[in-house]
Amino acid sequence: MIVISPKVNGKQSSADVRKAAYGALKLSVYLFWAVAIVLPMISMLSNIAHVDVARILSSRTFVKALRQSITVSSLATAISVSWAALLAWCITRTRIRYRGLLTVLFALPMLIPSISHGMGMIILFGSNGILRNLLGLSGTIYGFWGIVTGSVMYSFPVAFLMLYDVLRYEDSTPYEAAQVLGIPVWNRFTAITLPYLRKPLISVVFATFAMIVTDYGVPLMIGGKYSTLPVVMYQDVIGMLDFGKGSLIGLILLAPALVACILDILNRDRGNAAFVTKPFELKPSRIRDGIAVVVSIFTGIAIILPIGMFAYISVVGKYPVDMSFSLANIAQALDMHVGTYLRNSLLIAVFVAVLGTALATFLSYLTARRPSKDSKLLHLLSISSLAVPGIVLGLSYILFFKGTLIYGTFAILILVNMMHFFSSPYLMMYNTFGKLNPNLEAVGATLGISRLKVFRDVLLPQSAGTILEMLSYFFVNSMMTISAVSFLATVSIKPVALMITQFEGQMQLESAAFVSVIILFINMTVKAAVYLIKRGITKKST
Amino acid sequence: MNVTENQDKSAQSKDKLVIENLSKSFGASEVLRGVSFTVKDGEFLSILGPSGCGKTTILRILIGLAQADEGRILKDGQDISNLPPAQRGMGIVFQNYALFENMTVLGNVEYALKQRPETKAQAADVAREMLTIVGLQEHMGKKPHKLSGGQQQRVAIARTLALHPEIILFDEPMSALDVDTRLSLRLELKALQKKFGSTMIYITHDQEEAFALSDRIMVMGEGVIHQLDTPHNIVAAPADEYVRQFVLKNLQIKIDSLIQYADLPGYPRDSANAEGKQ
Repeated sequence: MIVISPKVNGKQSSADVRKAAYGALKLSVYLFWAVAIVLPMISMLSNIAHVDVARILSSRTFVKALRQSITVSSLATAISVSWAALLAWCITRTRIRYRGLLTVLFALPMLIPSISHGMGMIILFGSNGILRNLLGLSGTIYGFWGIVTGSVMYSFPVAFLMLYDVLRYEDSTPYEAAQVLGIPVWNRFTAITLPYLRKPLISVVFATFAMIVTDYGVPLMIGGKYSTLPVVMYQDVIGMLDFGKGSLIGLILLAPALVACILDILNRDRGNAAFVTKPFELKPSRIRDGIAVVVSIFTGIAIILPIGMFAYISVVGKYPVDMSFSLANIAQALDMHVGTYLRNSLLIAVFVAVLGTALATFLSYLTARRPSKDSKLLHLLSISSLAVPGIVLGLSYILFFKGTLIYGTFAILILVNMMHFFSSPYLMMYNTFGKLNPNLEAVGATLGISRLKVFRDVLLPQSAGTILEMLSYFFVNSMMTISAVSFLATVSIKPVALMITQFEGQMQLESAAFVSVIILFINMTVKAAVYLIKRGITKKST
Repeated sequence: MNVTENQDKSAQSKDKLVIENLSKSFGASEVLRGVSFTVKDGEFLSILGPSGCGKTTILRILIGLAQADEGRILKDGQDISNLPPAQRGMGIVFQNYALFENMTVLGNVEYALKQRPETKAQAADVAREMLTIVGLQEHMGKKPHKLSGGQQQRVAIARTLALHPEIILFDEPMSALDVDTRLSLRLELKALQKKFGSTMIYITHDQEEAFALSDRIMVMGEGVIHQLDTPHNIVAAPADEYVRQFVLKNLQIKIDSLIQYADLPGYPRDSANAEGKQ
C-alpha cells in the first residue's frame, strides 16, 4: 500500500491538471459564445428599450411592409417547396437518366447571392428583358411578381436538397406491404407518404419561409415600390442610421427563423435510425419518367438561362441597347477595384472556412463524443445561429462591437460569417461523430491511447469527407453572402458580393452580372475540387 | 467429471480479483447494490443476466471506464479502484468491435503497441503474431469493413491480446454474430485462454453460452448476485426461484425443443455423445 500510494497520488494530480485544463477550455468556449452571439443579441434587444415601439408598429410604412412581406413570402414559399418536392420526386422516384448530374444542376443556384437572382429576373423579364421582348409579355416584373420569382429561384435549391434527403431515405417496405395487401395508390399516398413527409415537410416549409422573409437581396433589386421588412430595415440602418427601428424589425424577423430552428430540433431526433431502410425498386413507366424529363428540362432552363445571361451581358457593350461584344464592362469593373474586393472576399472566405471548421469540429467533438452535463446547452448554443437571420446578426454586431478593436476590420467580417453559417457545418460534424463507434474512446483508454490521439488518429481520419464539406460550406457561403456583412463592411474591407449592391445602385447591370459570374465560377471550382478530393479519399479507403 | 476437476483447480488457485461491496446509481435508479465477489487466477467467469441487471456496469467499473459510488477492487491484493484504465492490466472486447475503421487490420493491432516505448520496436511483429493466432494472417492488409462480423471480432480480440493483459473482459462479444460463428469463436476463446493463461470475465445474457464456456457462472438480476457457482452446482442446486426461472427454465426450453425430434433419424445425438466422451 505504502509503495503504490505516491504513484496513485501522482496519477491523480496529473488527472487534476488535465481536468482543470479541460474546464478552462470549456469556459473559454462559453466566453466565446457570449461574445459572438449572446451579448450582441442582448445589446440589440436592449436597444429597443429606447424606441417608441407602438408608434413604429402602427406606422403605415411598417404595417404595409409587414403585410407585404408575409404575402410575398408565403406565396414564394408555397411555389418553392412544391417545385422542390416535384424535383426531389423526379430524382428519387423515377428512372430518368443523369440523376446525379441533375442533382448538382438543381443545387447550382445556391452558389450565387440572392441579389443575383433578382438581377436574373430583371435581365429576363425587366422593362427591356430578353424573354419579355421575345415572348411579347406585358405588365411589369418589378414588385410583387419579381420578388416571388426571384425568391423562388433563390430558395428552391435549399428546399430541394432537404426534401431529396428525406425521400432518398424513405423505407420502401410499407409500400410493398401495401401493394401486397391491395391498398389503392391514392390511399398509399395519404396513409404512408403524407404521414412520413409531414414532419420534415413542416420543417422545410418553415426553413424556406424564414429564408425568404429575411432576405433583402431579391426585393432590393427587383422589389421596386413593393417594400418588405428586410428592405425597410436595411434602409433604416444603412441609410438613416436608425438602429432602434432596425432592432425592432430585426426582432420581428427573428421569429420565423426561431420557429424554423425549434421545429428542426424537434423533428431531428429520429436521425439515428437503428435499422436499414430498403430502397425503392422502380418499375419502368414511360408516363412517370416522361413527366420527370419535362420537369427537369424546364428547371434546367430556368436555372441556366439567368446564369447564361450573366455571362452574356458581362461581355456586351450596353445592355440592352448595344449588344455587341465588348470587354468594356469588365474593364470598368476592374477599374472599380473588383480585383481588390475579390481578394478581400477570398481572404475572408478562407479564414472563415478554416477557423469555422476548426471550431465546429471542436464543439461537435465536445457535444457528440464527450457527453457531460452541459452538452445539451453547448449543442443548443452551437445551433442557435440557425435562428438568427444574417441581417439581424449583422445589426447586432454593429451595436455590440462598435468602438471595439475589431470593428471595421476583417476580423469582424470573419467572425460574423463564421457565426452566421456555423450551425449547418456543426450539425454535419455532430452527425458524423455521433455515428462513429461510441466505444472508441473507451477502447483507447484501456489500451493506453489518449483521447487526443484517438481524436487525431481515429476520429479525424474517418471524418475527412465531412471536414471537406464543412470547409466548402463555410467558403461558398462567405463568398456569396450579402446579409450580415452589408452592415459591417467598410470600403477597405468590402467583400466582392457587395459590389453587386453597389453596381445595382449605379445602374451598372453588366458589371453586377460580371461579379455574379466570378462568384459562381469560384464557388463551382471549390465544389468541384471538394468532390474530386472526396472521391479520391473514398477510393483510397476501399 | 470435467466439472469437478475444474472446481478443484480453481479452488487451489489464488484470488486474482477481489471485488468488495460495489454500489452504483444513475440518478434515482440503483444499478448495483453492494456486489461482492472473487475471481480466481486463470478462471473463466461468466456474468449472466438479462439486460439492465447491472452486468455491463460491473465490467465498466472493473476496467475503470466508470466509477463506483462505493466499494473497491483489489487485484493481486492491491487496490486498483483509482488507477486509470490502461494501468489495470486489463483488456476489453466490446459487442460492436469498436475497431479503428480508418486503419488496416494490422494497424488496429499494432497501434496501441506503437504508443508504448517498451513495445514500440516489435509492434509489427507482435501484431502479426497475434493476428496469426486468431487466424487472420490472410487479412492483415485489409480495412475492417471488408471482414465478416466474426473476423472483425477476432481483430478486436487480437488487439486486446497484443498487450498481454492479465485479465480480459468481454462485453457480450458474440451478440451480433450468427450461430455458426458463435460456436467456432467459443472454441477459439477457450483455446486462447489456455494458451495465454489469462483470466477472463465474460458478460452474456445467453444461458447456453455461459454454460458452454465458464468455470463458474455469476447469475445476476436487478443489481444483486443471485448465485455464483460452477455450472454443475447451478443446475444441481439453484439458489433461488430467480435462478430456477431465468437460467434453468430457459435452458430447459432449448433442450425440449430439440428433444421432441430426438427419435428422428437425422437428430445428431450420436455425434453429440461422441464429442461428450472425448
